Amino acid sequence: MRDILRKEMKLSASMITYLFIPFGLLFLVPGYPVLCSAFFVCLGIFQSFQNACEANDIVFSVLLPIAKKDVVKGKYIFVCLIEASGFLFMILSVFIRMTVFRESAVYRANALMNANLFALANACIIFGLFNLLFVGGFFRTAYKFARPFVSFIAGAFAVIVIAETLHHVPGLEMLNAFGFEHFAFQVSLLAGGIIISALITFCSYRKACDHFERIDL
Amino acid sequence: MTIAEVRNLVKRYPGFTLNNVSFQLESGRITGFIGRNGAGKTTTIKAMLNMIHTDSGSVYYSGRPLEENEADIKKQIGYSSGTISWYPRRKIRDIVEIVRAFYDTWDEEAYAKYRELFAIDESKTPNELSEGMKVKVNLMLALSHHAKLLILDEPTSGLDPFSRNELLEIFEEVKNEGVSIFFSTHIISDIEKCADDIIYISKGSILAAMEKEVFIQTYSKEGESLEDTMLRLEGGDHHA
Repeated sequence: MRDILRKEMKLSASMITYLFIPFGLLFLVPGYPVLCSAFFVCLGIFQSFQNACEANDIVFSVLLPIAKKDVVKGKYIFVCLIEASGFLFMILSVFIRMTVFRESAVYRANALMNANLFALANACIIFGLFNLLFVGGFFRTAYKFARPFVSFIAGAFAVIVIAETLHHVPGLEMLNAFGFEHFAFQVSLLAGGIIISALITFCSYRKACDHFERIDL
Repeated sequence: MTIAEVRNLVKRYPGFTLNNVSFQLESGRITGFIGRNGAGKTTTIKAMLNMIHTDSGSVYYSGRPLEENEADIKKQIGYSSGTISWYPRRKIRDIVEIVRAFYDTWDEEAYAKYRELFAIDESKTPNELSEGMKVKVNLMLALSHHAKLLILDEPTSGLDPFSRNELLEIFEEVKNEGVSIFFSTHIISDIEKCADDIIYISKGSILAAMEKEVFIQTYSKEGESLEDTMLRLEGGDHHA
Protein backbone atom coordinates (compact mmCIF):
# COMPACT_ATOMS: atom_id res chain seq x y z
CA MET A 1 0.00 0.00 0.00
CA ARG A 2 2.94 2.31 0.67
CA ASP A 3 4.04 1.90 -2.96
CA ILE A 4 0.68 2.82 -4.47
CA LEU A 5 0.45 5.83 -2.15
CA ARG A 6 3.93 6.95 -3.27
CA LYS A 7 2.77 6.58 -6.87
CA GLU A 8 -0.28 8.75 -6.10
CA MET A 9 1.80 11.44 -4.42
CA LYS A 10 4.70 11.54 -6.86
CA LEU A 11 3.18 10.68 -10.24
CA SER A 12 -0.57 11.14 -10.18
CA ALA A 13 -0.89 14.23 -8.01
CA SER A 14 -0.97 17.75 -9.35
CA MET A 15 1.18 20.36 -7.60
CA ILE A 16 -1.99 22.42 -7.20
CA THR A 17 -3.35 19.80 -4.80
CA TYR A 18 -0.49 20.48 -2.41
CA LEU A 19 -0.64 24.26 -2.92
CA PHE A 20 -4.33 24.29 -2.00
CA ILE A 21 -3.83 22.52 1.37
CA PRO A 22 -3.05 25.78 3.24
CA PHE A 23 -6.47 27.08 2.16
CA GLY A 24 -7.45 25.57 5.50
CA LEU A 25 -6.09 28.83 6.94
CA LEU A 26 -9.10 30.65 5.47
CA PHE A 27 -10.67 29.69 8.80
CA LEU A 28 -8.76 32.68 10.18
CA VAL A 29 -10.26 35.24 7.81
CA PRO A 30 -12.96 37.33 9.49
CA GLY A 31 -16.21 37.92 7.61
CA TYR A 32 -15.50 35.05 5.25
CA PRO A 33 -17.63 31.90 4.75
CA VAL A 34 -15.02 29.69 6.39
CA LEU A 35 -16.38 26.40 5.02
CA CYS A 36 -15.28 27.49 1.56
CA SER A 37 -11.79 26.54 2.70
CA ALA A 38 -12.86 22.85 2.74
CA PHE A 39 -14.22 23.34 -0.76
CA PHE A 40 -10.89 24.78 -1.93
CA VAL A 41 -8.95 21.82 -0.51
CA CYS A 42 -11.29 19.53 -2.49
CA LEU A 43 -10.84 21.71 -5.59
CA GLY A 44 -7.10 21.08 -5.27
CA ILE A 45 -7.68 17.31 -5.13
CA PHE A 46 -9.94 17.57 -8.18
CA GLN A 47 -6.92 18.93 -10.10
CA SER A 48 -5.04 15.70 -9.32
CA PHE A 49 -7.84 13.61 -10.78
CA GLN A 50 -7.81 15.78 -13.89
CA ASN A 51 -4.05 15.41 -14.08
CA ALA A 52 -4.30 11.64 -13.58
CA CYS A 53 -6.83 11.27 -16.40
CA GLU A 54 -4.56 13.15 -18.81
CA ALA A 55 -1.64 10.94 -17.79
CA ASN A 56 -3.54 7.63 -18.27
CA ASP A 57 -2.91 7.01 -14.60
CA ILE A 58 -5.74 4.54 -14.07
CA VAL A 59 -4.66 2.21 -16.89
CA PHE A 60 -1.04 2.50 -15.73
CA SER A 61 -2.07 1.60 -12.17
CA VAL A 62 -4.19 -1.35 -13.28
CA LEU A 63 -1.20 -2.78 -15.14
CA LEU A 64 0.92 -2.71 -11.98
CA PRO A 65 1.16 -6.01 -10.09
CA ILE A 66 -1.54 -5.15 -7.57
CA ALA A 67 -5.22 -6.00 -7.18
CA LYS A 68 -7.68 -3.58 -8.81
CA LYS A 69 -9.18 -2.69 -5.45
CA ASP A 70 -5.75 -1.46 -4.34
CA VAL A 71 -5.86 1.12 -7.14
CA VAL A 72 -9.08 2.44 -5.58
CA LYS A 73 -7.66 2.21 -2.07
CA GLY A 74 -4.58 4.20 -3.14
CA LYS A 75 -6.77 7.02 -4.48
CA TYR A 76 -8.93 7.12 -1.34
CA ILE A 77 -5.94 7.14 1.00
CA PHE A 78 -4.33 9.93 -1.01
CA VAL A 79 -7.55 11.97 -0.96
CA CYS A 80 -8.03 11.44 2.78
CA LEU A 81 -4.41 12.37 3.45
CA ILE A 82 -4.79 15.68 1.60
CA GLU A 83 -8.09 16.36 3.36
CA ALA A 84 -6.51 15.58 6.73
CA SER A 85 -3.64 17.95 5.92
CA GLY A 86 -6.08 20.74 5.06
CA PHE A 87 -8.05 19.88 8.20
CA LEU A 88 -4.91 20.35 10.33
CA PHE A 89 -4.66 23.94 9.07
CA MET A 90 -8.33 24.42 9.96
CA ILE A 91 -7.79 22.99 13.46
CA LEU A 92 -4.83 25.33 13.94
CA SER A 93 -6.92 28.31 12.82
CA VAL A 94 -9.83 27.35 15.09
CA PHE A 95 -7.47 26.91 18.03
CA ILE A 96 -6.03 30.41 17.45
CA ARG A 97 -9.54 31.88 17.23
CA MET A 98 -10.66 30.02 20.37
CA THR A 99 -7.67 31.22 22.42
CA VAL A 100 -5.68 34.23 21.22
CA PHE A 101 -8.58 35.92 19.40
CA ARG A 102 -11.46 34.71 21.56
CA GLU A 103 -12.46 38.29 22.50
CA SER A 104 -11.49 39.88 19.20
CA ALA A 105 -14.19 42.37 18.16
CA VAL A 106 -13.73 41.66 14.47
CA TYR A 107 -14.58 37.96 14.99
CA ARG A 108 -17.36 38.68 17.51
CA ALA A 109 -19.08 41.09 15.10
CA ASN A 110 -19.00 38.51 12.30
CA ALA A 111 -22.42 37.98 10.71
CA LEU A 112 -21.19 34.73 9.18
CA MET A 113 -20.60 31.55 11.17
CA ASN A 114 -17.76 31.47 13.66
CA ALA A 115 -14.79 29.19 12.95
CA ASN A 116 -15.36 26.81 15.85
CA LEU A 117 -15.67 23.04 16.37
CA PHE A 118 -19.09 23.06 14.70
CA ALA A 119 -17.44 24.60 11.61
CA LEU A 120 -14.80 21.84 11.72
CA ALA A 121 -17.61 19.25 11.88
CA ASN A 122 -19.14 20.76 8.76
CA ALA A 123 -15.76 20.78 7.02
CA CYS A 124 -15.57 17.03 7.75
CA ILE A 125 -18.99 16.53 6.20
CA ILE A 126 -17.91 18.46 3.10
CA PHE A 127 -14.87 16.18 2.82
CA GLY A 128 -17.14 13.16 3.25
CA LEU A 129 -19.40 14.47 0.48
CA PHE A 130 -16.38 14.94 -1.77
CA ASN A 131 -15.37 11.33 -1.18
CA LEU A 132 -18.92 10.14 -1.78
CA LEU A 133 -20.03 12.28 -4.70
CA PHE A 134 -16.78 13.03 -6.51
CA VAL A 135 -14.35 10.18 -5.79
CA GLY A 136 -17.11 7.56 -5.69
CA GLY A 137 -18.71 9.09 -8.80
CA PHE A 138 -15.39 9.07 -10.63
CA PHE A 139 -14.94 5.33 -10.07
CA ARG A 140 -18.28 4.61 -11.77
CA THR A 141 -16.45 5.17 -15.07
CA ALA A 142 -12.80 5.85 -14.09
CA TYR A 143 -12.65 8.63 -16.68
CA LYS A 144 -15.63 10.99 -16.23
CA PHE A 145 -14.94 13.52 -13.51
CA ALA A 146 -16.90 16.64 -14.50
CA ARG A 147 -20.38 15.44 -13.54
CA PRO A 148 -19.27 14.00 -10.17
CA PHE A 149 -17.58 17.30 -9.39
CA VAL A 150 -20.70 19.30 -10.26
CA SER A 151 -22.66 17.01 -7.90
CA PHE A 152 -20.11 17.70 -5.19
CA ILE A 153 -20.33 21.48 -5.76
CA ALA A 154 -24.11 21.29 -5.28
CA GLY A 155 -23.73 19.17 -2.13
CA ALA A 156 -20.94 21.28 -0.64
CA PHE A 157 -22.76 24.56 -1.15
CA ALA A 158 -25.92 23.10 0.34
CA VAL A 159 -23.92 22.22 3.48
CA ILE A 160 -22.32 25.69 3.54
CA VAL A 161 -25.69 27.47 3.19
CA ILE A 162 -27.33 25.32 5.86
CA ALA A 163 -24.39 25.67 8.27
CA GLU A 164 -24.23 29.44 7.73
CA THR A 165 -27.97 29.76 8.37
CA LEU A 166 -28.50 27.44 11.33
CA HIS A 167 -26.94 29.65 14.02
CA HIS A 168 -29.40 32.44 13.13
CA VAL A 169 -32.32 30.13 13.97
CA PRO A 170 -33.66 30.97 17.45
CA GLY A 171 -32.47 28.37 19.95
CA LEU A 172 -29.48 27.29 17.90
CA GLU A 173 -27.21 30.22 18.81
CA MET A 174 -24.84 27.92 20.67
CA LEU A 175 -23.75 26.47 17.33
CA ASN A 176 -21.89 29.74 16.91
CA ALA A 177 -20.05 29.48 20.24
CA PHE A 178 -16.91 31.56 20.80
CA GLY A 179 -13.83 30.47 22.74
CA PHE A 180 -14.66 27.50 24.97
CA GLU A 181 -18.38 28.31 25.37
CA HIS A 182 -20.64 25.21 25.18
CA PHE A 183 -17.46 23.21 24.82
CA ALA A 184 -18.92 19.74 25.47
CA PHE A 185 -21.70 20.40 22.97
CA GLN A 186 -19.21 21.67 20.39
CA VAL A 187 -16.94 18.64 20.90
CA SER A 188 -19.90 16.30 20.41
CA LEU A 189 -20.76 18.10 17.14
CA LEU A 190 -17.18 17.69 15.95
CA ALA A 191 -17.14 14.00 16.91
CA GLY A 192 -20.44 13.56 15.06
CA GLY A 193 -19.02 15.28 11.96
CA ILE A 194 -15.92 13.08 11.98
CA ILE A 195 -17.95 9.88 12.43
CA ILE A 196 -20.41 10.80 9.65
CA SER A 197 -17.56 11.69 7.31
CA ALA A 198 -15.71 8.46 8.07
CA LEU A 199 -18.85 6.38 7.51
CA ILE A 200 -19.67 8.14 4.24
CA THR A 201 -16.08 7.68 3.05
CA PHE A 202 -15.99 3.99 3.97
CA CYS A 203 -19.31 3.29 2.20
CA SER A 204 -18.11 5.26 -0.83
CA TYR A 205 -14.83 3.30 -0.91
CA ARG A 206 -16.64 -0.05 -0.78
CA LYS A 207 -18.96 0.96 -3.58
CA ALA A 208 -16.10 2.39 -5.66
CA CYS A 209 -14.18 -0.92 -5.37
CA ASP A 210 -17.27 -2.72 -6.55
CA HIS A 211 -17.83 -0.36 -9.51
CA PHE A 212 -14.18 -0.34 -10.51
CA GLU A 213 -14.06 -4.12 -10.55
CA ARG A 214 -16.99 -4.20 -12.99
CA ILE A 215 -16.14 -1.43 -15.48
CA ASP A 216 -14.24 -1.86 -18.73
CA LEU A 217 -11.15 0.33 -19.14
CA MET B 1 5.92 -24.64 -23.48
CA THR B 2 2.72 -22.62 -23.45
CA ILE B 3 3.22 -19.29 -21.67
CA ALA B 4 -0.30 -17.95 -22.18
CA GLU B 5 -3.58 -19.41 -23.25
CA VAL B 6 -6.77 -17.63 -24.19
CA ARG B 7 -9.84 -19.83 -23.99
CA ASN B 8 -13.19 -19.05 -25.60
CA LEU B 9 -13.26 -15.32 -24.91
CA VAL B 10 -16.58 -13.69 -25.70
CA LYS B 11 -17.20 -9.98 -25.31
CA ARG B 12 -20.33 -8.38 -26.71
CA TYR B 13 -20.50 -4.67 -27.48
CA PRO B 14 -23.31 -3.00 -29.36
CA GLY B 15 -22.27 -3.54 -32.98
CA PHE B 16 -19.26 -5.78 -32.27
CA THR B 17 -18.69 -9.18 -30.73
CA LEU B 18 -15.43 -10.81 -29.81
CA ASN B 19 -16.49 -14.27 -30.77
CA ASN B 20 -15.14 -17.29 -28.91
CA VAL B 21 -11.50 -16.26 -29.23
CA SER B 22 -8.99 -18.99 -28.36
CA PHE B 23 -5.26 -19.31 -28.95
CA GLN B 24 -2.02 -20.21 -27.24
CA LEU B 25 1.29 -18.36 -27.01
CA GLU B 26 4.42 -20.44 -26.91
CA SER B 27 7.37 -19.36 -24.81
CA GLY B 28 10.46 -17.89 -26.47
CA ARG B 29 8.60 -16.98 -29.67
CA ILE B 30 7.34 -13.83 -31.33
CA THR B 31 3.65 -14.00 -32.15
CA GLY B 32 2.10 -11.46 -34.46
CA PHE B 33 -1.55 -10.70 -33.87
CA ILE B 34 -2.86 -9.37 -37.15
CA GLY B 35 -6.17 -7.96 -38.19
CA ARG B 36 -7.57 -4.82 -39.70
CA ASN B 37 -8.64 -1.85 -37.56
CA GLY B 38 -11.68 -2.81 -35.47
CA ALA B 39 -11.10 -6.56 -35.86
CA GLY B 40 -10.85 -7.06 -32.08
CA LYS B 41 -7.09 -6.98 -31.43
CA THR B 42 -7.14 -4.37 -28.67
CA THR B 43 -10.27 -5.89 -27.10
CA THR B 44 -8.52 -9.26 -26.93
CA ILE B 45 -5.40 -7.70 -25.42
CA LYS B 46 -7.45 -5.80 -22.86
CA ALA B 47 -9.18 -9.03 -21.89
CA MET B 48 -5.77 -10.69 -21.54
CA LEU B 49 -4.82 -7.96 -19.05
CA ASN B 50 -8.12 -8.02 -17.16
CA MET B 51 -8.88 -4.47 -18.26
CA ILE B 52 -12.29 -5.45 -19.59
CA HIS B 53 -14.80 -7.98 -18.38
CA THR B 54 -15.64 -10.65 -20.85
CA ASP B 55 -19.05 -12.27 -21.11
CA SER B 56 -17.35 -15.67 -20.97
CA GLY B 57 -13.98 -17.29 -21.41
CA SER B 58 -10.75 -17.23 -19.47
CA VAL B 59 -7.06 -16.41 -19.74
CA TYR B 60 -4.25 -18.53 -18.32
CA TYR B 61 -0.58 -17.70 -17.88
CA SER B 62 1.77 -20.64 -17.39
CA GLY B 63 -1.31 -22.73 -16.62
CA ARG B 64 -2.60 -20.38 -13.90
CA PRO B 65 -5.88 -18.51 -14.33
CA LEU B 66 -5.44 -14.72 -14.50
CA GLU B 67 -8.51 -14.03 -12.43
CA GLU B 68 -7.15 -15.79 -9.32
CA ASN B 69 -3.49 -14.80 -9.66
CA GLU B 70 -3.71 -11.33 -11.17
CA ALA B 71 -1.08 -9.48 -9.11
CA ASP B 72 1.44 -12.30 -9.36
CA ILE B 73 0.91 -12.86 -13.07
CA LYS B 74 1.29 -9.16 -13.84
CA LYS B 75 4.82 -9.33 -12.44
CA GLN B 76 5.65 -11.58 -15.37
CA ILE B 77 4.03 -9.43 -18.04
CA GLY B 78 5.15 -6.25 -19.71
CA TYR B 79 2.69 -4.12 -21.65
CA SER B 80 3.12 -1.34 -24.11
CA SER B 81 0.85 0.44 -26.48
CA GLY B 82 1.81 2.54 -29.45
CA THR B 83 -1.09 4.85 -28.73
CA ILE B 84 -0.89 5.48 -24.98
CA SER B 85 1.89 7.12 -23.02
CA TRP B 86 2.05 7.43 -19.27
CA TYR B 87 2.61 10.60 -17.28
CA PRO B 88 3.68 12.76 -20.25
CA ARG B 89 5.12 15.51 -18.05
CA ARG B 90 7.03 13.39 -15.52
CA LYS B 91 10.69 12.56 -15.97
CA ILE B 92 11.46 8.97 -16.99
CA ARG B 93 13.69 8.78 -13.90
CA ASP B 94 10.73 9.59 -11.62
CA ILE B 95 8.46 7.06 -13.33
CA VAL B 96 11.13 4.36 -13.02
CA GLU B 97 11.68 5.18 -9.35
CA ILE B 98 8.01 4.50 -8.63
CA VAL B 99 7.66 1.44 -10.87
CA ARG B 100 10.69 -0.41 -9.49
CA ALA B 101 9.17 -0.49 -5.99
CA PHE B 102 6.31 -2.69 -7.21
CA TYR B 103 8.58 -5.50 -8.41
CA ASP B 104 10.62 -7.72 -6.12
CA THR B 105 12.19 -9.04 -9.33
CA TRP B 106 13.50 -5.60 -10.36
CA ASP B 107 17.07 -5.91 -11.61
CA GLU B 108 19.20 -2.75 -11.53
CA GLU B 109 21.82 -4.28 -13.82
CA ALA B 110 19.21 -5.21 -16.41
CA TYR B 111 17.77 -1.71 -16.11
CA ALA B 112 21.16 -0.09 -16.74
CA LYS B 113 21.78 -2.49 -19.64
CA TYR B 114 18.50 -1.77 -21.45
CA ARG B 115 18.66 1.95 -20.72
CA GLU B 116 22.00 2.01 -22.49
CA LEU B 117 20.92 -0.37 -25.26
CA PHE B 118 17.83 1.72 -26.06
CA ALA B 119 19.71 5.02 -25.51
CA ILE B 120 17.09 6.32 -23.09
CA ASP B 121 17.73 9.67 -21.45
CA GLU B 122 16.19 9.45 -17.98
CA SER B 123 15.96 13.19 -17.59
CA LYS B 124 13.46 13.48 -20.45
CA THR B 125 9.69 13.31 -20.10
CA PRO B 126 7.53 11.07 -22.33
CA ASN B 127 6.29 14.28 -23.99
CA GLU B 128 9.80 14.88 -25.24
CA LEU B 129 10.18 11.39 -26.70
CA SER B 130 9.34 10.09 -30.15
CA GLU B 131 6.68 7.37 -30.43
CA GLY B 132 9.38 4.74 -30.92
CA MET B 133 11.25 5.87 -27.80
CA LYS B 134 8.04 5.68 -25.74
CA VAL B 135 7.67 2.03 -26.72
CA LYS B 136 11.34 1.47 -25.85
CA VAL B 137 10.79 2.98 -22.40
CA ASN B 138 7.96 0.52 -21.78
CA LEU B 139 10.13 -2.35 -23.03
CA MET B 140 12.93 -1.21 -20.72
CA LEU B 141 10.56 -1.18 -17.74
CA ALA B 142 9.24 -4.65 -18.57
CA LEU B 143 12.66 -6.17 -19.20
CA SER B 144 14.07 -4.63 -16.01
CA HIS B 145 11.65 -6.66 -13.90
CA HIS B 146 12.31 -9.76 -16.01
CA ALA B 147 8.92 -9.99 -17.66
CA LYS B 148 8.58 -13.33 -19.41
CA LEU B 149 5.94 -12.15 -21.85
CA LEU B 150 5.64 -8.77 -23.55
CA ILE B 151 2.15 -7.88 -24.72
CA LEU B 152 2.40 -5.02 -27.16
CA ASP B 153 -0.62 -3.34 -28.68
CA GLU B 154 0.26 -1.83 -32.06
CA PRO B 155 3.81 -0.95 -30.96
CA THR B 156 4.85 0.02 -34.48
CA SER B 157 1.85 2.14 -35.40
CA GLY B 158 2.86 5.73 -35.98
CA LEU B 159 6.53 4.88 -36.44
CA ASP B 160 8.54 5.74 -39.54
CA PRO B 161 9.96 2.73 -41.48
CA PHE B 162 13.43 3.18 -39.94
CA SER B 163 12.16 3.23 -36.35
CA ARG B 164 9.87 0.29 -37.12
CA ASN B 165 12.76 -1.70 -38.44
CA GLU B 166 14.86 -0.82 -35.40
CA LEU B 167 12.07 -1.88 -33.05
CA LEU B 168 11.56 -5.18 -34.84
CA GLU B 169 15.29 -5.88 -34.51
CA ILE B 170 14.99 -5.20 -30.79
CA PHE B 171 12.17 -7.77 -30.66
CA GLU B 172 14.59 -10.34 -32.07
CA GLU B 173 17.23 -9.47 -29.46
CA VAL B 174 14.66 -9.70 -26.67
CA LYS B 175 13.43 -13.06 -27.98
CA ASN B 176 16.98 -14.36 -27.99
CA GLU B 177 17.07 -13.68 -24.25
CA GLY B 178 14.12 -16.04 -23.78
CA VAL B 179 11.32 -13.47 -23.60
CA SER B 180 8.10 -14.17 -25.51
CA ILE B 181 6.51 -11.35 -27.47
CA PHE B 182 2.89 -11.01 -28.47
CA PHE B 183 2.28 -7.94 -30.59
CA SER B 184 -0.74 -6.73 -32.47
CA THR B 185 -0.43 -4.92 -35.74
CA HIS B 186 -2.23 -4.17 -38.94
CA ILE B 187 1.10 -3.78 -40.75
CA ILE B 188 1.68 -7.08 -42.54
CA SER B 189 5.36 -6.44 -43.27
CA ASP B 190 6.03 -6.35 -39.48
CA ILE B 191 4.70 -9.89 -39.23
CA GLU B 192 6.63 -10.94 -42.31
CA LYS B 193 9.86 -9.59 -40.86
CA CYS B 194 9.91 -10.91 -37.32
CA ALA B 195 6.97 -13.12 -36.28
CA ASP B 196 7.42 -16.84 -35.66
CA ASP B 197 3.69 -17.42 -35.26
CA ILE B 198 0.63 -15.68 -36.65
CA ILE B 199 -2.75 -15.21 -35.09
CA TYR B 200 -5.19 -13.74 -37.57
CA ILE B 201 -8.37 -12.12 -36.32
CA SER B 202 -11.18 -10.81 -38.47
CA LYS B 203 -14.53 -9.36 -37.36
CA GLY B 204 -13.99 -10.60 -33.80
CA SER B 205 -13.17 -14.21 -34.73
CA ILE B 206 -9.83 -15.98 -34.93
CA LEU B 207 -9.46 -17.29 -38.47
CA ALA B 208 -5.97 -18.76 -38.09
CA ALA B 209 -3.45 -19.38 -35.29
CA MET B 210 -0.31 -21.21 -36.38
CA GLU B 211 3.38 -20.97 -37.24
CA LYS B 212 4.08 -18.36 -39.90
CA GLU B 213 5.53 -20.92 -42.30
CA VAL B 214 2.51 -23.19 -41.90
CA PHE B 215 0.23 -20.20 -42.43
CA ILE B 216 1.99 -19.35 -45.70
CA GLN B 217 1.85 -22.97 -46.86
CA THR B 218 -1.82 -23.21 -45.98
CA TYR B 219 -3.15 -19.93 -47.26
CA SER B 220 -0.72 -18.38 -49.76
CA LYS B 221 -1.05 -19.00 -53.49
CA GLU B 222 2.09 -19.55 -55.46
CA GLY B 223 4.16 -16.39 -55.85
CA GLU B 224 1.89 -14.49 -53.50
CA SER B 225 3.41 -12.32 -50.76
CA LEU B 226 2.06 -12.52 -47.22
CA GLU B 227 0.54 -9.08 -47.70
CA ASP B 228 -1.32 -10.25 -50.83
CA THR B 229 -2.49 -13.33 -48.94
CA MET B 230 -3.83 -11.30 -46.03
CA LEU B 231 -5.60 -8.87 -48.34
CA ARG B 232 -7.21 -11.77 -50.19
CA LEU B 233 -8.26 -13.46 -46.96
CA GLU B 234 -9.71 -10.22 -45.66
CA GLY B 235 -11.64 -10.00 -48.92
CA GLY B 236 -13.31 -13.31 -48.11
CA ASP B 237 -11.32 -15.76 -50.27
CA HIS B 238 -9.99 -18.42 -47.87
CA HIS B 239 -8.72 -20.88 -50.48
CA ALA B 240 -5.03 -21.22 -51.25
